[in-house]
Formats: sequence, C-alpha cells, structure tokens
Amino acid sequence: MAVIHNPDPSDSKQRGVTRLFYDARIRSIFIQAITLALVLGFLGWLTLNTMTNLAARNLSAGFDFLDVSAGFGIGFTLIPYQESDTYLRVFFVGIMNTLLVAAVSIVLATVFGLIVGLARLSNNWIIATLSRSYIELIRNTPLLLQIIAWFFGVFVLLPRPRQSVELGEAFFLNNRGFYMPAAVPEPGFGVVTATFLACIVGTIALAIWARRRRDRTGRHFPAFFTGFGAIIVLPLGVHLALGSPLGWELPELKGLNFTGGVSVPPSFCALIVALSAYTSCFIAEIVRSGIQSVSKGQLEAAGALNLPANWTLRRVVLPQALRVIIPPLISQYLNVTKNSSLAIAIGFPDLVSVWMNTSLNQSGRAIPIVAMTMAFYCLVSISVSLVMNYYNARAQIKER
Amino acid sequence: MSDAPLIFSPKPDRPAPADTVGLLGWIRQNLFKDVPNALMTLLGAYIIFVVTGAVVNWALIDAVWSAESRRECLDQVGRAGACWPGVAAWFKNLIYGLYPKDQVWRINLGFVLLVLWMLPLWMPKVTSKIGIGLSAVLLYPFLASYFFLGGEKALVWTALIALGLCGLIWVWSTALTETLVEKPLGSWVIGRLGVPEADERRQRQTKLICAALLFVAAFAFVSLWSLSEVRTRLWGGLFLTLVISGIGITFSLPAGILLALGRRSDLPVIAAMSTLFIELFRSVPLITILFMFNTMLPLFMPTGIEVNQLVRAIVAVCLFAAAYMAEVVRGGLQAIDKGQYEASSSLGMGYWQTTTLIVLPQALKIMIPAIVGNFIGLFKDTTLVSIIGLFDLMNMARAIGEDTRWLGLFIEPFFVVSLIYFVFCFAMSSYSMGLERKLATGRDRS
Amino acid sequence: MRLRYIAHAALALGLAAPAFAQETMETVKERGVLNCQVGLPTPGFYALAEDGTWSGMDVDLCRAVSAAIFGDPDQVEYQSVTSAVRFTSLANAESDMLSRTTTWTAVRDTQLGLDFTTVNFYDGQGFLVPADSGITSALELDGGVICVLTGTTTELNLADYFRANGMSFTPVTNENVNVLVETYLGGGCDAYTNDKSGLAARRSAFPDPNGHTLLPETVSKEPLGPVVRQGDDAWANLVRWVVFGIINAEELGVSSENVDEMTSSADPNIARLLGSEGNIGEGLGVSPTFMVDVIKAVGNYGEIYEKHIGENTPIGIPREGTLNALWTEGGIIYAPPFR
Repeated sequence: MAVIHNPDPSDSKQRGVTRLFYDARIRSIFIQAITLALVLGFLGWLTLNTMTNLAARNLSAGFDFLDVSAGFGIGFTLIPYQESDTYLRVFFVGIMNTLLVAAVSIVLATVFGLIVGLARLSNNWIIATLSRSYIELIRNTPLLLQIIAWFFGVFVLLPRPRQSVELGEAFFLNNRGFYMPAAVPEPGFGVVTATFLACIVGTIALAIWARRRRDRTGRHFPAFFTGFGAIIVLPLGVHLALGSPLGWELPELKGLNFTGGVSVPPSFCALIVALSAYTSCFIAEIVRSGIQSVSKGQLEAAGALNLPANWTLRRVVLPQALRVIIPPLISQYLNVTKNSSLAIAIGFPDLVSVWMNTSLNQSGRAIPIVAMTMAFYCLVSISVSLVMNYYNARAQIKER
Repeated sequence: MSDAPLIFSPKPDRPAPADTVGLLGWIRQNLFKDVPNALMTLLGAYIIFVVTGAVVNWALIDAVWSAESRRECLDQVGRAGACWPGVAAWFKNLIYGLYPKDQVWRINLGFVLLVLWMLPLWMPKVTSKIGIGLSAVLLYPFLASYFFLGGEKALVWTALIALGLCGLIWVWSTALTETLVEKPLGSWVIGRLGVPEADERRQRQTKLICAALLFVAAFAFVSLWSLSEVRTRLWGGLFLTLVISGIGITFSLPAGILLALGRRSDLPVIAAMSTLFIELFRSVPLITILFMFNTMLPLFMPTGIEVNQLVRAIVAVCLFAAAYMAEVVRGGLQAIDKGQYEASSSLGMGYWQTTTLIVLPQALKIMIPAIVGNFIGLFKDTTLVSIIGLFDLMNMARAIGEDTRWLGLFIEPFFVVSLIYFVFCFAMSSYSMGLERKLATGRDRS
Repeated sequence: MRLRYIAHAALALGLAAPAFAQETMETVKERGVLNCQVGLPTPGFYALAEDGTWSGMDVDLCRAVSAAIFGDPDQVEYQSVTSAVRFTSLANAESDMLSRTTTWTAVRDTQLGLDFTTVNFYDGQGFLVPADSGITSALELDGGVICVLTGTTTELNLADYFRANGMSFTPVTNENVNVLVETYLGGGCDAYTNDKSGLAARRSAFPDPNGHTLLPETVSKEPLGPVVRQGDDAWANLVRWVVFGIINAEELGVSSENVDEMTSSADPNIARLLGSEGNIGEGLGVSPTFMVDVIKAVGNYGEIYEKHIGENTPIGIPREGTLNALWTEGGIIYAPPFR
C-alpha cells in the first residue's frame, strides 16, 4: 500500500492526534500493536486458566510418564518394541508406522492416480466411464467408511493361515496378513549397497553435466536412460560377482501362524489400499486438469516446429503441466499423512491410534500426549511446506 | 449451344458408413475400436459384473427383509445376506438421533424453513438475492436453533427469534413482490399506502413503522410458542451431521476470507499471525484438533465455565474449516491480475474498497468449485466427531450393533450410512460441476 | 450481529452451571439433573434402545443416585462418552459420576484425579476361541493373533499374561467391540479376549454360538464400579452408600415389590435402611427415606442383576456360585452395615 501523503501542507498543523491517525505508517503500527497485545493476552489468559484448572483437578501435565513402562502390546512395529518398553518408545513406534503408511500410500496413490487420470481421458467409452464412476464413487464417500469397507469386505475375508494364497513358497496372503521373505544381508553386501549409492550419485552428476552441455551446445545426451541402466546393472553385477551375499528368510507356518520373514497385518493392507484408492481419485483429477491446462496453442506450436511426439510431451507439455500439478499434488501427499490417522478405525497402530488413543487412555496424560501428537504433524507439514515454497518460487512464471 | 442455365445440383449425401452410426456404430467407435480397446472393454465389463454382482447378491437377493432380531436373520441366511430389519428399526435414529420421537417435526420444520428461505435464490426474477442470502446466514440460525433446542426463552432470546421470523416474512414478501409486480418490497408497500414518491423522509418513516409493526406482531406471536427443551446430548444422526457441517460451512467462508486477507496483508504482525493460525490448523489431522478441543478446552476455560460437548466439536470443526477455506481463498486472490489492483488504486480506491468491490467478487467466482469441494470435504470429515463420542451418523450406526436385539449388526448400518453420505456428496459435487460450467465464461477456447 | 448470535447460542447451548466452586451435590441439585457418564452403548450394562432410553446394570446406578437425590430416578442426563475421554470428562466436571464398567486400578485411583467408590460387579478376563481350533487352554495360544479392545485394562492384562507365561502374541486392537467380533468371526484372530461378562453376551449373538468355546482361564481381576471426581468426599459417600444400600437391601430381603410393607418392618436393620429409624440420609445430604425411593425405582442388587444380565436375559451370566453372589451365598458381594 502506498503511503498516503497529506497533499495540503497547511493541514500539517492539524492537531497531533488526528495527524497520527491519518499517517498510514503510524496507524499500521498502532493496529498491529493492539492485535498483538490482544492475541498475547488471550494466550496468556488460556495458560493461566489451564494451570489453575490442572491444580484444581489433581491432574498432571508433566512429561514424567514418558519413561514409565507402557505395558501393552503393539501389533505391528518397525522398530523393536516389547510390552515392557517405555511410553516414549511407543511414541516412536507410532511415528514410524505413520510414516510407513504415508510413504507406501503416496507411492501407490501416485501410480494409480496417474493411471486413472489418463483413463479418464481415454477414448474408450467404458474405460472413461468406469474411471469416472470410480472417481465419483470413491471421492464422495467418507474415507473412514472406505477403510472399514476394505478391511471387512476384503482383508478379513481372505483365507485362514492354513489355506493361505501362496506364491512360490515365499509370499503368503491370508487374513492374518501378507508375508514376504526377509532379506538377511551377509558379509560383502555392504559393497553392493555402496555401489548402488555411488551409481545414484554418479547419475545425478551425469544429469547435471548433460543439462549444462545441452544449454551450451544444444546437443542432447540421454542421461536419464544411461543413469537408470547404470543404477540397475552395476550393483547387480557386483552382487552376482560377490556370489550373492544376501540370504532370504522365508516365512513358514508354525503353530497358529506364520513366523519368520517380513509381514504386514491386514489392517495395514486395508489402510494402504483405502488410502491410496481415495487419494488416487484426487490425484487423477489433478493430473487430468494439469494436462488439460496446457494450452492448445503450445501443442500446435510444437507441431509447427516439427518436434517429435515424445519431445513435445517431455519438453513442452510436462514442464507446463507439472507446474499446475505439483502444488496440489504435494498438498494431497500431506493429506495422506494426515488421513493415515484414520487407522484408528481398524486398529492399525499408527501414531494417533497407539499414542493419542491407547497411551492416552492407559496413562491419562491428555495434555502432553495431544501436544506431542500435534507437534509431530506440524513438523512434517512444515518441512513439506518449506520444500513446496522453494519449488513454487522456482517454478512460478516470472511476472513483471 | 443450349441456353439452358448451368445448374449446380450436388449429389445427395451418401449415408454415413454403417459402422459409425446407430447403436452398433457407437459400440464399435467407443468400445471395440482396436484390439487393446476391446480388451479393456472386456476387462471393464468383467470388473463391473463381479463387483455389482457380489453387492447385489448380498444386499438384495440373499438379504432378509423381515425379522424380529438378528438371531432370526442369522438362522435364515447366516452371514451371506444382509439383515435389513435391524437398520429399518433404527432408521429414524439414523436420521434424527435420539431426538424425542414426538418432537421430530421440529427438525423437519427447521429444514423446511431453510429450504423456504433459500428457495427465492433460485427464482429468476428476484433481485435482492444478496439480502436474502445474508438474512439466511444471519437470521435463520435464531429461528432454527429455537426449534431444535426449545426450552425457556428470555426476553432477548424471544426478540431474536422474532427477528428471525420477520426475516422469513421479509424474504417471501420480497420474493413475491419482485416476481409478481417486479418492484422491490419497500416501494410496493409505499405505493399501496399512497405515500408520495418525492417525500423521502416520510417514505423512510413509513418503512420503519411497517418494520416495527411486523416485529411487534412477530414478537407477540413468538411469545406464544412454548417448545419443550431438547438437550444437545439427544441430537444425533444425519441431523447432527448436517448441523455441524452447516455451521462449519457458514462460519468457514467469512472467517476464511478474513484469514486469507490477513495472510496477504502488508502488516507483518497480522500476516504472521494469520499464517501461523492457518498452518497450525492445516498441518494436523482433524481428529487431533477434535481431541484437543474435547479434552483441553475445558481446561482452557476459567474455573466454573462448562462448555457443552457439541459446542466444543463445532468450534473445532469451524476453526479447522476456516483454515482450509483461507487457503482456497488465497488461491483465488493470487489468480487476480496485478492490473486490477493497479487500476483500482489509480481510481483512488482504498484497501477495503479494492478488496470488497474489485478483488473478492472476481476471486470468489474463480473459487466456487474449490469452495464446494471444500464443503464436501468438511461434510465428510464430520464423521470424525463420532470418535469423540457424539452420536452422529457413524456412532448411531454403531449403536445399532450394540442393541441387544441386533447385537453384532455392523456391516449393514455402515452400508446405509455410506449410501447417505454418497447421495449428499454426489449431489453437491454434481451441482458444483454444473455451476462451474455455467460460470466458465471466456476462459477456455476449445 | 454474528457475534451476538454466537454469544447467545453459546449461552443457550451450555456455558452454564458452575461446577468446581461448589460441592457436586449442590451443583446437581441446582441443575436438577444428574450428569451420569456411561460408555458407548453396551448390552446389559448401558444399553440404548431405539427410543433413546438407556437401561442396564450401570444405568440403574445412575437412576438410583438420581432417586436418592431427587426422589425421581429419571432426572439423569446420560453422557455417552468414548473410553478415550472418559476420565478427562469426569475430571473436567462434565460428568458428576461415571458408571461404566470401569476397572478399579491403583494408577487410575491415584494419578488421574479420580476416586473409585466401590465395586458393583466383579469381572475377569477370558478368551473365546473357535471350537474347531482344538484349543482348550489359554496356554496353547503361543504365537497367536489375539483380538483385544484397546484403551482398557484388558489390553494390559493380555500383555501381562503372555509375558508371565513366556509366550508371544500379536494383538489386533480396536475400540469398537463389533469390529473385533467381525474380525474374530472372519478368522482374523485366533482368540478374542475380553471381560467374561462381555464374551458370553457376544457369543450369544454369533451365527453359531456353539461353534465357539470360552477357555477356562480367568487371567485378571476386574472389579468394576462407579467413579467420582477426587476431592469431594460427601459426593463420593453418597454414591458409595447408594450402592451399599442396594446390596444391603438384597441381603435383608427388601425388594421393589415389598418395600412399602417393609417400611413398617420390626427388623431394626431394615428400619435403619429405609429411614424409618435413624438419620443416615441426613449425613449424606439426602432425605432420610432415600433408600425407599431408590429401591422403588431400581430394586435391590439381585433384582438389578437378574433384570439386566441374569440368566433369563440375552446376556445370560449366571450368578450362583460366582464372585457376584452375596457373601451369604458364597460370593463376595458384601456391604458395610447401615448403622
């Protein structure tokens, strides 16, 4: 806002108060100071009340319960956990589980959303209609209900452990979960991992070099395919040369259930499927609108320059479409993280379920527990927001 | 040489190729154009067949339609078919919650009033749509909350309800005069009373007197009403879901606009605080906010003040919705061309004039689809209030399975609840798409 | 305009009734309604009917307290609250008392600002397994997947039991019993564990009740009873002595049917209980004949038990020979004397 200058110098002898009021800078400082005072006062009032109330109700707000033994079992943990472990450990178990659900769902939702989004633009009537009705159906039903529906409609109805669906004695699917062989690294596997990481770094360097060269000389180097090939082939070669230093532990039926290997419970599967199906609908719409947002003139111009079709896609359509697609896509990824909190409905031990429900219930410490949960989600969100803002600043069309 | 004029007569059009017209042609074009297409068609048809087949079998063919208890259902078909009598017995509760059955008319009346209030917005000749919309937001709640809550009403409360009633009467008389005689209500009344058009002062007086008379009449009428009190603990079902999401939606739009303006403000403190609020509420799941408000709001309040559980849930939903709406509005504000601000500045408009007269009208138009999308999201999100123990649709569905007679009935109520949600959300999203098409003026070329 | 509306709505909806400054009894009398917290509907203990009425063993305690205070058992507002927020809700003074199958434990009694008054039902945790699994003892459940209600003592007892016996297990948790039962019936877990009272009721609603066996082990002590906020002894006394009164009534043979005749009984114990002698009610801040109102409204302990969870109800928990029989009949239901 422009600073408003008093046009008539004779008016500057007005009484001080009035002049102060009309001075935009002073007025804005005044308004801000009042707002700040009000908000701080309000927060202070709340804190004061809370402290009085806590004292009056014999409640404790401290974090001293964190090193008390939790005493309950958790059905699925990424980090080792026993019933005798502390509440703090439960918190980390919950965080890891939430992050796992979010990561897996994000990958699946993106792939699936891309497919559905493209299918919506298909010229096959039944496919276009099918994907449209899929989007409408899934988008217009609460996620909570869908998670429950997947859990009971599919994963609980799978066969029992003894009649598991098997795939080559290594993968088993039953209503207790999905069982996979676990990789057991043997000596020498570190070399394979190191090669793999080196290849990734090399590919990134190659991509940067290729881009610089293209900018300078206009000559194209297929860095993507070269790098991708190197990432796959080299570690594989090293792996085989060292005599496959990786053992596999197969799941096997022992007593009531399978033991060994890696397994995920049905609630995890249901949650993943429901979350990625739900999110994929939104991603599909984002993809569709992103592709449709590229102006027809751009395609025509590319055609007029006689660009090959895949160059048109990669150098003209995608860069423009991505600018429209990425910001809402990231906010969908954040939504996945937040929506994973609905795991509570089918009892998957994510952060909200295991921490804000079970631990809160068992320990009764509402304030620290709710505060810690919110802090975690805020942290995730803020880090993503920072990345987002960086991207936005880079991708924005430069205005005057 | 013949003088006969050369007449150009085109040959009759040949019929379109047989495989491009009619049902057969359509099928060929759209379903079996080439081999991959045909394969996809078959796959699609198979998916449709399997999914709908299973659902139809369970929900219709194998279902039990009359039984006295779940035991009877189980004895008839086991778990292969749905047991609908349980849902039927509780259906009223799914809609109205635990609201006393003989008072349910009050809820119905409340929603009929809302429809009546909003109806003129769709009548083509009505011109005071902004006034009607505003009155629906500002006055209708008094009337509705009295019908829903009932109980003793003090003087102020009665006056507010009377104001609500006046609002309704005003809406409809305006709608009628504008439709029938195409004049605003005020000038029509003045015309009928024979007040000279030139005398503005007398006109204003007449209008005021009319309004006052109407208010007194309404006040007297409202004082006659006495409805028994229905505590909010008894509210539930679809009714509660609509109340929570309705209040959330109504609150979130103005609050969201203010927050978005605050975030874009030049005043750093205000911008920082708005940003903080928005980011804080957007970054945590609604469940945690509901939980926080439910367990911690009573701690925040001074000793002795008790906040009703429903109010806590509504406050949480409102703040959450406002933060989301703020981001939608911000998106709309960002889309406004810089030239618009410069033009209004050059006309000497101040901040509020620019905002309300130039920026917001354009921004809101762009945002309508996103706003409706947000509303749908909010409506769906209200399922979460069940987690803190309010008897919304979800919890009411759960209560069916805990009834001794229908113990364990679980899938069927959830199926019905999903259907109810779907119908509402689908209606909203279809409406929004229609609106989007109607408003998409001069943006696309295709 | 908006602000005014919000303020008014807030007033109308419940920025009401101060709660802490006064004694709970005063607050309740002033409000005219007892805020009694129950859980989400559960058959037998706090069941909800289509018409919105609550009934059950724990609900009858609310009714009894209301009858003691007001002479009318129906001046109760039932607050159905999820177990996650039950204690905060009570500690925050939203509820006056909590009557919802809550297990009395040291931590809850000492660290959460709660005061457990007494026990009205002794439960114990058991396991339900499919009969065709061939499992006959809980000790055979090693490595099993167990369905358990989350946020309850059940969850802790389960972990303790397996730890104590050197066995491992994977819990499948949920806070909705029906979800667990559906999971269990679908074969999603090898056993379903809960308080035995709950297991029996649920089994009766299975498609094939005889296809499931209740294992003989009882792995925990679950004394359930009403809870009040810490720091108001007078109020705790009232709740406690209403329960004691109901138990004493059964012991003395006073029931809802004969309570009117019994008021003129010659037995001094009965006379004191019903207030025709002595002034026990006065000490509790209620009318001397409060137990007459209570018994008329809900009956004695035996009547309440048989009406809601006894053998002739769908819940069908036998009483004879269990902990919940009167002490004179081999149980441990025992109340201090009214004198």
